[in-house]
Amino acid sequence: MEWFTKFPEMDRNGLREFKKTVDNAFTSFSRNYGEGIENFFDPLLSFLVAFEKLFLNTPWPITIFAILLICWLASRSMIIIAGTFLSFLLIGYFGMWEDTMSTLAIILVATLLCICIGIPIGIAMARSNKVQTLILPILDVMQTIPSFVYLIPVVMLLGIGKVPGLIAVCIYAIPPIVRLTNLGIRLVDKDVLEAAESFGANYWQKLFGVQIPLALPTIFAGVNQTIMMALAMVVIASMIGVQGLGLPVLRAISNQYLALGLMNGLAIVVLAIIFDRVTQRIGKRMQRYKSD
Amino acid sequence: MNRKLGAVIIAVAVAVGIYFMTAEKKVEQTACGKVTIAEMNWASAELMANVDKIILEKGYGCEVELVAGATMPTFTSMNEKGMPDIAPELWSNAVQGPLSKAKDEKRLFVANPGPITGLGEGWWVSPSVVKNHPELKTVKDIIERPDLFPHPEDSSKGGMMTCPAGWNCQLSTNNLFRAFKMEEKGWKLIDPGSAAGLDGAIAKASTRNENWFGYYWTPTSVVGKYGLVKVPFGVDYDDDNWHNCIVKPEKECADPKPTSWTKSVVETVVTDNFMNNSGVASDFIKNRTYPGEIMNQMLVFMTDQKATGKDAAFEFLQKHENVWGKWVSDEAAKKIKASL
Repeated sequence: MEWFTKFPEMDRNGLREFKKTVDNAFTSFSRNYGEGIENFFDPLLSFLVAFEKLFLNTPWPITIFAILLICWLASRSMIIIAGTFLSFLLIGYFGMWEDTMSTLAIILVATLLCICIGIPIGIAMARSNKVQTLILPILDVMQTIPSFVYLIPVVMLLGIGKVPGLIAVCIYAIPPIVRLTNLGIRLVDKDVLEAAESFGANYWQKLFGVQIPLALPTIFAGVNQTIMMALAMVVIASMIGVQGLGLPVLRAISNQYLALGLMNGLAIVVLAIIFDRVTQRIGKRMQRYKSD
Repeated sequence: MNRKLGAVIIAVAVAVGIYFMTAEKKVEQTACGKVTIAEMNWASAELMANVDKIILEKGYGCEVELVAGATMPTFTSMNEKGMPDIAPELWSNAVQGPLSKAKDEKRLFVANPGPITGLGEGWWVSPSVVKNHPELKTVKDIIERPDLFPHPEDSSKGGMMTCPAGWNCQLSTNNLFRAFKMEEKGWKLIDPGSAAGLDGAIAKASTRNENWFGYYWTPTSVVGKYGLVKVPFGVDYDDDNWHNCIVKPEKECADPKPTSWTKSVVETVVTDNFMNNSGVASDFIKNRTYPGEIMNQMLVFMTDQKATGKDAAFEFLQKHENVWGKWVSDEAAKKIKASL
């Protein structure tokens, strides 16, 4: 009856061999292809570095003005502008300006990358149920797998620094935009599509003229969530050497510096709130037609 | 909250009850009594804790319990509560002040001032550097050649990997970086963020035969596995400069001078309870010194075989009798050998 009380597990040596085989396979993969993969990501790295330099080297009044301008164009709300202005002044005053700019740079690039990859995948999922059943479990894995698990292979392949950090952030942050693009397009009214068809619209006209515009508010909710999740990954990304607000937080964790951790943590929160309010406003303004 | 508290009280009461019911019998059985050993959360300390457990149990008839630990929590608990009894591998630079106070008050004792030889922190290079550029013998030579260690984000600069964010060694490495005027020589520091990041970077550089230069320490499996080589600084150690400048935050160290790294103090610290009541068992703790080479080999064994501290302890006792045989009396050695 031993098999009943104790799970009949693989024997120790077999298990050890199995783990070793996986590890060795990955090591030899990294040895053979690592450099090629690294070179493949080189353009992305130089883009990231250039983008960060732009943020860091622009004089702060110009940066704040540009941020406020973007917020105004997107939200048209004086409250948000005032809040943003005040927050950035405080961040600068407390000496977190450079870290905030680094974080902002990587978050923006990560969001852009997620949008560029995520929206087409979402559209493909909305088009075909087969694609949807294939992709959904992958998204589940990406959202729930502990990030440290994929950080190890990413670091082995690409070393530490911005690109592996960006990949880690994107793995975690891309699912919402894919899911909500899919959902938004699927929720478009059948009658509207029928009307478009009866006017002789072809597939692409339907997609870009009807489905995507009507789905935009939902897609924007996805963008919003993607940004939020990217910000949540800032600290984790810092564990593999990404500059920004995450590093002081890590320093605070290992030394129990309460104030340092709190300040930088709150700076991340402030960024998140600004991003959230601005993108929500955009989403709301897109839905204005509903109340008219 | 109340329910939790209640549960804790009941658990403690039950534990105390069991203790009193069994205590008397055990004192008769064993000369050494009940011992708790801190099993710190890194590999070399896990191995040492498990070896101590086996030797104390089989060789000296102690009743040993391992408790999980880490430098600060374990030391604080030993200092305040006298529990656990033994911290096999305590990096005492981090707790210097309170430890010397506890030593003066005879609450804690350093049973072994150097349980592992050849250990310490410093600046290391990957083996490819030694192989391809044997002329680079000291840190002073290396810092003249930033071109050999291109920074990943700016290949016109040399990249040196510093210590993970928030560790004390980050301050010392960054100050030494300034002391050796490395920025003027075309170097930039890379912050690996975490120990995992640092290990990953070393693993990547070594498996691909790339040059790597940065902070590391031993005993570690990384050093053993990837053959990292410690680079002497090429200057003498300057105690005053080290303690009053290099280890301080940048603001309090305006003018750092080059110096080599301080000697790391790793000790086996025990409580007064163990020191006074364990009899000959404490002699074993005094005698046991792991040669650094053997320790690194064991750590490589642990990572390669995915072995736990317990597995590694048995492996060590089986393979290296010539090492541990000298730590214990012949009688105890026989008993331990018989039990393996």
